[in-house]
Amino acid sequence: MSKELLKGNIAIAEAAVRAGCEAYFGYPITPQTELLEHMSSRMLELGRVFLQSESEVAAINMVYGAASAGARAMTSSSSPGISLMQEGLSYIVGSEVPAVIVDVVRGGPGLGNIQPSQGDYNQLVKSAGHGDYHPIVLAPANIQEAIDLTVLAFDLADVYRTLVFVVADGTLGQMMEPAELPPMRALRPRPEWALTGKGERPQNIISSIYLSADLLEAFNQKLQAKLALIAQREVRYEAYQLEDAEYVVVAFGTVGRIAKTAVQNLRRQGIAVGLFRPITLWPFPEKQLSELADSGRIKAFLVTEMNAGQMLQDVRLAVGRDVPVHFYGRMGGVVPMPEEIETALAELVNGNGRLPKTILEGKNGHPTR
Amino acid sequence: MSTNTIPLELTRKDFVSDQTVRWCPGCGDYAILAQMQKTLPELGIPREKIVFISGIGCSSRFPYYMNTYGIHSIHGRAPTLATGLAVTNPDLSIWVITGDGDGLSIGGNHLLHVMRRNVNLNIILFNNRVYGLTKGQYSPTSRKGFKTKSSPMGTIEQPINPVAIALASEATFVARSIDSHTQHLGEVLAAAAAHKGVSFVEVYQNCVIFNPDEWGPLEDRRERDDHMIYLEHGKPMVFGRNRDKGVRLNERFEPEVVQLGEQYTVDDLIVYDARSKALAMMISSMEHPYFPTPMGVIRQVSAPNYTEGLMAQIEAAQAQKGKGDLHKLYRAADLWEVK
Repeated sequence: MSKELLKGNIAIAEAAVRAGCEAYFGYPITPQTELLEHMSSRMLELGRVFLQSESEVAAINMVYGAASAGARAMTSSSSPGISLMQEGLSYIVGSEVPAVIVDVVRGGPGLGNIQPSQGDYNQLVKSAGHGDYHPIVLAPANIQEAIDLTVLAFDLADVYRTLVFVVADGTLGQMMEPAELPPMRALRPRPEWALTGKGERPQNIISSIYLSADLLEAFNQKLQAKLALIAQREVRYEAYQLEDAEYVVVAFGTVGRIAKTAVQNLRRQGIAVGLFRPITLWPFPEKQLSELADSGRIKAFLVTEMNAGQMLQDVRLAVGRDVPVHFYGRMGGVVPMPEEIETALAELVNGNGRLPKTILEGKNGHPTR
Repeated sequence: MSTNTIPLELTRKDFVSDQTVRWCPGCGDYAILAQMQKTLPELGIPREKIVFISGIGCSSRFPYYMNTYGIHSIHGRAPTLATGLAVTNPDLSIWVITGDGDGLSIGGNHLLHVMRRNVNLNIILFNNRVYGLTKGQYSPTSRKGFKTKSSPMGTIEQPINPVAIALASEATFVARSIDSHTQHLGEVLAAAAAHKGVSFVEVYQNCVIFNPDEWGPLEDRRERDDHMIYLEHGKPMVFGRNRDKGVRLNERFEPEVVQLGEQYTVDDLIVYDARSKALAMMISSMEHPYFPTPMGVIRQVSAPNYTEGLMAQIEAAQAQKGKGDLHKLYRAADLWEVK
């Protein structure tokens, strides 16, 4: 295998194909549509299913149906489309069927725009449907990682029989860069819990309903135990130049990558900064951040996101009150430049762990805390 | 207290907003916009009483270009916002602007219900049989076999017939026109506006970028009269450039195109009756190129609209029980005194 110049949306689609996605359902929405278009030709030539649904509501429930039949199934959309899927997401988790969803995030709220954003952090991590659960949320920062995490998403979905999101923003979906695609995998056999025809085995019923309070509580306890296991085993993050860092920028996805440039620039000036980039937004690398804060070496954290500070809350919970956690962000639609993050980080260093008033007052109207 | 107002003489220009129109050059939407701006002044409705509500899609940019009130709403949901508006402010002239994707794909459900409720509003569905805003995927009205970016081997889905959907949903006014026949379009829009209750208008619209050949000869001024039949209530179904063809009901009770002359005369043709649902249903199945495309008012019947029904129920409820008294209602419930 060798590297090819790939567009993010198409790379994710092809990675899903090679990971053994048997059925794709989706509805066009910018900036994700190329993913659907790639699937429309690719799935057919491989003898797999592609269906352009009448809405995102239809798409997620088609995924629910196909996954219940034991097929590796997926859909992809962008922010408002994901909001429409909420009901289906919850039923999928409640029924314990595996599903993979790609969210190429755009600016919100409402119609917002079609520019890159990270405004879906809360929607995916905290409120992807009603009930007590979190989906697994994987946040790549470049196209290679988007490919690798898409393959991983299918495996995690299968292992835990749950919902896995791959969250890219519009930048990742639309940009092109060299990356290597994985080899084509053979389709995995249909799992034993799936609706494959009863035959001699006991009947399989896919449902999320537990009318008895006791049974529902027992199911939820089992679900919580599963989530605890995921939280314990599946945390992923990138630690960049943290060994001796005194100031740490925390950022995910595209912004994580931009922040890395800022860290490199400051390192060249001899400033001890590092990057902590959560790759799993859920499970959040809470313990790792907490340990970093407890090391006694860190003077301050700077969280930076393309939103008004959604992951910020999780960072603050992990870090606690002993080390200051500041925020510098750009609202969706505007991608921050490395220099901006570099300036905010440099100001933090100059202020000995405090952001100066000029930044905190948001001179450009950018969200800061 | 009422205020006497002097109605202003409005012109087309009064309905043109200050926004730059952003559709592709040559898009059929321009003609529909121009006709709407030309038709509205003739209705005598003040601008502040007019609202345009759209969903998402190319057609849904419409409200920006109308110098009236407007809502650019949610994909497929415009009929629901419009319903909320219509029942809470019955004085408004409400126009839902939608397309084959917005109205029949994601919004299909809402479209049925706004029509069967006979909410007093006008629905203009721009049908270009393709998704334009997301750059060229097939839509629910795309012809079978249509090759697009999401149907590289041609779509295998049966298309929806919007007029048939409107009839099945019991819309009280159903009509069809085409972007390129501006005079006809203007007349249909005016008729839709004049109708009390729900008006559904399908407008064949040309997407010059992603589906430019969809309407073929219907878009050609020289040829179109041989391919369209302009329905007129109470008139025989004659068509053709030379008015020498017609539609009759054959022995199998199916529409049949006949040449007028020795074998058939005008007396053999169907006399169109816009009040007949059966006839409208039959007409809705006539499709180009097997039949001339029916244009104009396909169905128009009079029925109480949703707001009228609601008001009648309110009146009846108050006549039976008197005007609502919260205090009385509260005291009428089972009450205990806790000591």
